[in-house]
Amino acid sequence: MSVLLEVEDLTKRFGGVTAVDGCSFTVDEGTVTALIGPNGSGKTTVFNLVTGCLPADSGAVRFSGREVTGMSPGRLYQRGLSRTFQQARVFPELTVLENLVVAGGWSFAGLFRQRVSRADRVRAAELLDEFRLDRVGDLLAAELSWGQRKLLEFAALLMSDPRLVLLDEPTAGVNPILIETMEAHIRARHAAGTTFLVVEHDMQFVMRLCDPVIVFDRGCPIASGTPEHVQSDPRVLDAYLGE
Amino acid sequence: MHTIIQGVILGILTGGVYALMAGGQTLIFGIMKVVNLAQGAMVILSAYLSYTLFTSAGIDPFLAVLITTPAMFCLGVAVQWLFLRQLRREDAAELSILVTFAIALAVEGVLSVVYSTSYRSINASYANTSFTVGGYQVSAVRLYAFLLSVGVLGLLYLLLHRTRFGRAVRATVQNPEAARLLGVEPARIRALGFGLGTATAAAAGSVFGLIYPFNAGSHYDLISQLLSVVVLGGLGSLGGAVVAGVIIGVSSSVVAVAWSPTWSQFTFFVVLLAVLLIRPRGLFGTVLRGAL
Amino acid sequence: MTRGGLSRAGVLAVVLAVLPLALPQHWVVSMLVFTVMYAALASSWNLIGGFAGYPSLGHAAFFGFGAYTVALIFPNTHNLSNGLLPFAILPGIAVVAGLIGLPIGAIAMRTRADVFAIVTITLLFVAQTLALNLRSLTGGAQGAGVAVPPFDVANFERPFYYAMAVLLLVAMGAGWYSQRSKIGLSLAAVRADEDKARGIGVHVTGVKLLAFSVSVGITAMIGGVWAYYVDFVYPQFAFDPLITIGMVLMAFLGGRGTLWGPVIGAVVLVPAQQYLAYELGGSQLYLIAYALVFLLIMRFLPRGILPTLTHLRRRRRLIAAADPAPRTAAAELGLAHDGQGGARV
Repeated sequence: MSVLLEVEDLTKRFGGVTAVDGCSFTVDEGTVTALIGPNGSGKTTVFNLVTGCLPADSGAVRFSGREVTGMSPGRLYQRGLSRTFQQARVFPELTVLENLVVAGGWSFAGLFRQRVSRADRVRAAELLDEFRLDRVGDLLAAELSWGQRKLLEFAALLMSDPRLVLLDEPTAGVNPILIETMEAHIRARHAAGTTFLVVEHDMQFVMRLCDPVIVFDRGCPIASGTPEHVQSDPRVLDAYLGE
Repeated sequence: MHTIIQGVILGILTGGVYALMAGGQTLIFGIMKVVNLAQGAMVILSAYLSYTLFTSAGIDPFLAVLITTPAMFCLGVAVQWLFLRQLRREDAAELSILVTFAIALAVEGVLSVVYSTSYRSINASYANTSFTVGGYQVSAVRLYAFLLSVGVLGLLYLLLHRTRFGRAVRATVQNPEAARLLGVEPARIRALGFGLGTATAAAAGSVFGLIYPFNAGSHYDLISQLLSVVVLGGLGSLGGAVVAGVIIGVSSSVVAVAWSPTWSQFTFFVVLLAVLLIRPRGLFGTVLRGAL
Repeated sequence: MTRGGLSRAGVLAVVLAVLPLALPQHWVVSMLVFTVMYAALASSWNLIGGFAGYPSLGHAAFFGFGAYTVALIFPNTHNLSNGLLPFAILPGIAVVAGLIGLPIGAIAMRTRADVFAIVTITLLFVAQTLALNLRSLTGGAQGAGVAVPPFDVANFERPFYYAMAVLLLVAMGAGWYSQRSKIGLSLAAVRADEDKARGIGVHVTGVKLLAFSVSVGITAMIGGVWAYYVDFVYPQFAFDPLITIGMVLMAFLGGRGTLWGPVIGAVVLVPAQQYLAYELGGSQLYLIAYALVFLLIMRFLPRGILPTLTHLRRRRRLIAAADPAPRTAAAELGLAHDGQGGARV
């Protein structure tokens, strides 16, 4: 298995608080890697650093062997590294179909092409089917339920054929049935070759789905390995239960 | 050199007045994230009020502040309550700019109907008095104006930092949700804050009327001048507004004496553009929204 | 839908062409000139202020730029052999204004809407001050005269009217084109959540600058025609904040971000404005009326006429739909609208 994402000695401070502290880890190609840890342990900040949403104070990020530190989120997206947000960010005034098309990634010249071309429609239709959004394709995203928006956000970024998808709490705030749906979609995509890095608080979800699991505390990884392995690691229990 | 130093002195005194005018605006931004384009119009309105009090009742403009301040406060609260309160949160920033611009035009319209468009000025007995300090002329009006500005800004500072109301305001600025949990009602704070910001226009208006001739359209000049001060100081920073007011006051008055008053107008725009290019958060402010 | 759009465009073109022939009185055609002018201004403002959500308050600077360019190239000492000559330079004016707009837009649109409004309104006053102070070039407060148009007195307004009508079609054409291409899709994404749009590879900066540039270019051309029509330009009228607020107001009333909204706004407001100016005489009262209308729209109809209608229609259709899937979606509308929508982090 080759390394797809390599994070080396990444550090980020906010004023006096060090949110991410000399953090290093790797994500192997073809895995569903989990990033877990107590609240405030720096998981989301790591996401923001890796995807270029925040500038790192020091350290390096390599994606499929190339240095991408400080690269803008848009560029990374075009290279196949994309993310979702804790609070799903879709474009409420665009239709579901348009939300997919706008995420399709086109060149500047592509701006002058048709808003939703036949090719766009064909490409989006597969994803709409896959995510069972085909019946609501012409609704505005604002008219979707909260859970449907999370599905839409996930489906939309697949338009770019990403190699690595970072999911920030994919199950937060959605009902149990939708959690299962979400899990099924991640599994299907994983089987099709996409690598995932998941921040999640739902431990059952993580233990069912992810391998390996990286445990964060105070801004850096303290343990990693199979779900069984980290579950029995005393440092992990410490981090979660306090000293 | 003599003229330059004279210009600096004038600039510092004028800068205090800018700081006072912009102080209310930056306060309003800090509390409710509203870029208030009506502040200049409120200053001119206050100038007319103290003009009327002076010409018809003989009340000194500096004393008139005691009357105009409560009046402007009430006006500010009313404006916020009527027109700004109900803006939907997602486009409040965009719409509030336009609403306050419309308010500025309404005020201008009313003033030009009531007072016609000819220029007025408040000719107090001390209007032409000046002191000579070490060979430099210091006009009495400008000195008093400066002192009043410093005084009002000082009071504003004390109000924000030493009273319950001030604490509630600052809590709302930092975290409206948390403030609500602590029993502070953000809607009320926003109304009072807008009133307070508008109230500072009362003192500024008296001072403005004493120093410059004005008509209803004068607020247009103030819009860009005040915005430059507010942006340089950092949107929402009262201390920043004071420093920026003095910096801009000095630089524009030095440009005026060294080159020509014509180009001193441009000092504002140059400063504004430079700040946005080099340091969009201003000298002391937090990062502008959206620049995150 | 495209066919419907085309036929609506055809009807508009025919109506625009026939109007001055059907109503040839001077005062009517003069009012039509201003109505169409404001419809065009509001439509071009809408490209950046509506579709992209960047409310420019400085468009009058470009309007004045166009006006002064015409006044300087064809001063009143100039004897026009061909009255159409000033119209011929309009595309050049548009290109120059668009190019000037690029760096200004690049600085002003680095951050969100409030800073943009600050920079653009300051630009307006700077432009006005420049026109006042560069006396040797602009004639300062005395203004600058424009060459007298050698048109037949009986139908004097017509060339200006048709020029404005063409510019209206250009502005609406640009809006229509952007909406049916990926430009409109990108602009809508920018308006909703700019950072997210950037994060999914949308060419945010490029598309914003494109919209701003085209928008101010068309505005400058309209200013050029206006200067030629009124025959004399003064700094305070060419760079008038009321022109800015006028176009913003009309776009808001009709519905910003829609193709027809700005036109509807202009058709409602300009005749009312002309009537007020005629009835009330002084421009001060109409300043108040203007401001009040604006405040009332913001208070009671913040979306504007067209989007309010569309919203009502859409809601009704969703609720009436027999199809179970949209019905669930409609039932969830309450949830979708309770503040979680469009979270902008």
